[in-house]
Amino acid sequence: MEEVNDTLCVGIDLGTSRSSISASNGERHVVDSYVGWPIDMVARKLVKKSVLVGRDALDNRPMLDLRRPLERGIMKDGSEKDQEAVQELVRHLISLAGIKQKGKNKPKVRAVVGVPAEAFRVSRQNLRSTIEGIADSVMMVSEPFAVAYGLEALLHALVIDIGAGTADFCVMQGRYPTEEDQKTLPNAGDSIDEQLMKLIRERHPDAQFSIHMIREWKEKHSFVGEPKGRVMVAVPIKGKATEIDVTQEMRSACESILPPVCETLTSLLMKVEPEYQDKVRNNVILAGGTSLIAGLPAAVTKALNELGGGRATVVNDPVFAGSDGSLAIARDASASDWDRLSL
Amino acid sequence: MAGIDETKVQLLRGIVQDNINGLRDVRVTRIKRRKARKRSWLWAGWIAAGMTSLMVTLSVVPKADAPAVSATPVQQKTAVANVDPAAQAETLSHPRPFDRGTIPLSIKTVVIDAGHGGEPGATSESGLTEKEITLDVALRLRRLLKNAPFKVLLTRETDRSMSLDKRVSFANENKADLFLSIHVNWMEPHSIRALETYYVGPTDDPATLKLASRENKDSGYSLSDYKKILEKIYVDVRRDESRTLAYTIQNQLFRSLKASNPALENRGIRTAPFVVLIGTQMPAILVEIACLSNEDEAKLLTTEDYRENIALALAKGIRSYAKALKVADRKAVN
Repeated sequence: MEEVNDTLCVGIDLGTSRSSISASNGERHVVDSYVGWPIDMVARKLVKKSVLVGRDALDNRPMLDLRRPLERGIMKDGSEKDQEAVQELVRHLISLAGIKQKGKNKPKVRAVVGVPAEAFRVSRQNLRSTIEGIADSVMMVSEPFAVAYGLEALLHALVIDIGAGTADFCVMQGRYPTEEDQKTLPNAGDSIDEQLMKLIRERHPDAQFSIHMIREWKEKHSFVGEPKGRVMVAVPIKGKATEIDVTQEMRSACESILPPVCETLTSLLMKVEPEYQDKVRNNVILAGGTSLIAGLPAAVTKALNELGGGRATVVNDPVFAGSDGSLAIARDASASDWDRLSL
Repeated sequence: MAGIDETKVQLLRGIVQDNINGLRDVRVTRIKRRKARKRSWLWAGWIAAGMTSLMVTLSVVPKADAPAVSATPVQQKTAVANVDPAAQAETLSHPRPFDRGTIPLSIKTVVIDAGHGGEPGATSESGLTEKEITLDVALRLRRLLKNAPFKVLLTRETDRSMSLDKRVSFANENKADLFLSIHVNWMEPHSIRALETYYVGPTDDPATLKLASRENKDSGYSLSDYKKILEKIYVDVRRDESRTLAYTIQNQLFRSLKASNPALENRGIRTAPFVVLIGTQMPAILVEIACLSNEDEAKLLTTEDYRENIALALAKGIRSYAKALKVADRKAVN
């Protein structure tokens, strides 16, 4: 609620594919969640950095020990290198927001970090320990809850935050959501990528492509429902650049997340008090990078119609909805609350 | 707007409380670790005094399903004010951390579990099955450990089916001190050649969950059951030992196989909810020694030399772990 001059609040959405930061100084940034270290001295001389983050890391990936340190929105377990990668990623985000991390005038950083709705307590602890030293105080919140808080959709709303690693659901009923109000599914952007890769490989066994190419195609052309045109992509086949039609594969892969998403939506709706179910059905909010799939809100609305009618909408800024919501929480928490959470 | 503001205040209270509970866990873990280090010196003297103190020490090592232990002074001191009683009870019920150096331990029995049997498990495109490879490597490993100062038992010695709970009972009934389950992976994309070693613990990795669900087939539980069980047993005292064992075996395997399999990827040690790791009462690991989905690696597996190399690396790893355990004991007693 109060913010002194030497204190900065940040909301961070650490995503499997992209991570974003919204800061109280007005800065907002998003980076690809990749961190890489040069594999040898030659690579280090070429890239001229000891560690690369985001697009920079992706573009130089042949020369790097490249990490995507978050899986299903949480730190991978069992690898110190991934832990280090998360630290580098958070440091990078904070520096992008123009926040000094060393020196005399280094401000106090209060960070709210979004985690999947059903993340294990131990996973939250690991993440908290990893961020120690980078931020002065840290709060973890469930990602869809952060989105709901930022939009002030606190009552009779259902938020579905579909990222790369997870689809997180949260029903807002005017109280702090319990385990019963939240759900996490692994069917999200990455599962679409895997499906798309499998389908294209089946139909074009000689085509050469990587998971990074698959992701780029999906970001440009993803859709559910009837196609608006053909989806053509260029791939080398036996060394020759060739255009292939992947319209059907794209549709099938994107639509693969619809059944589990709609099933989970229904199961959460059933837990809402009967008199409020209608209101919640009409206030389904989609957020996260994967919610940008063309036709997705219409497909979810169609599923809601089978339950008696409803409406699903996508937030205005799906990429920053999580970090903006986290920032709102960071700003609204009182100084005494933050003091209790100092690391 | 006033209504919303009041709602926000309530919500913020919930967030802060939830985080304070989480933060307390981190603080308690840190303090417990520091105290455990100090305690091990004091307890070393105790252990030298005889069996009585050993029994006392053992009584503080609870099983996963044991009732809650009483609060330690450390935990009481670090409990943050205004925490709700339910959350407090949950934290206090965790078993105390356990330093293995405080009890002289040695390995007397090793159980080797050849994954699958009867049913084939993973099958390569050329028809090579996981059950054949795991049994072959297990039999080789037993031969290589013939002169070791411990007994080696196999869960199966022929191509027969054996349920996962029977494998667990076999190890527990034979009072095994170490359990090693051998498996061969199947991964997408098929270009992957990876080496992985698992010990018990929760995971959020979808690929690991998929693998666990495949290896746990026909166990009778659902994956959501495991998640709940694992939250409770996360601080299981076996976990640290299993992690050390997993690390030793994984490193040994990678070092030994890299030369003959240059494209091999070291995926390190990971946690996963495999039934055989949850049910066993001793340090236990599951090793994915190769990927049958990769045809080149499947070809390597058809050669005796490569399978012998795998068995040799596993034998070296087990001996090295056993040796390290003895050294740790000697240090603690001295």
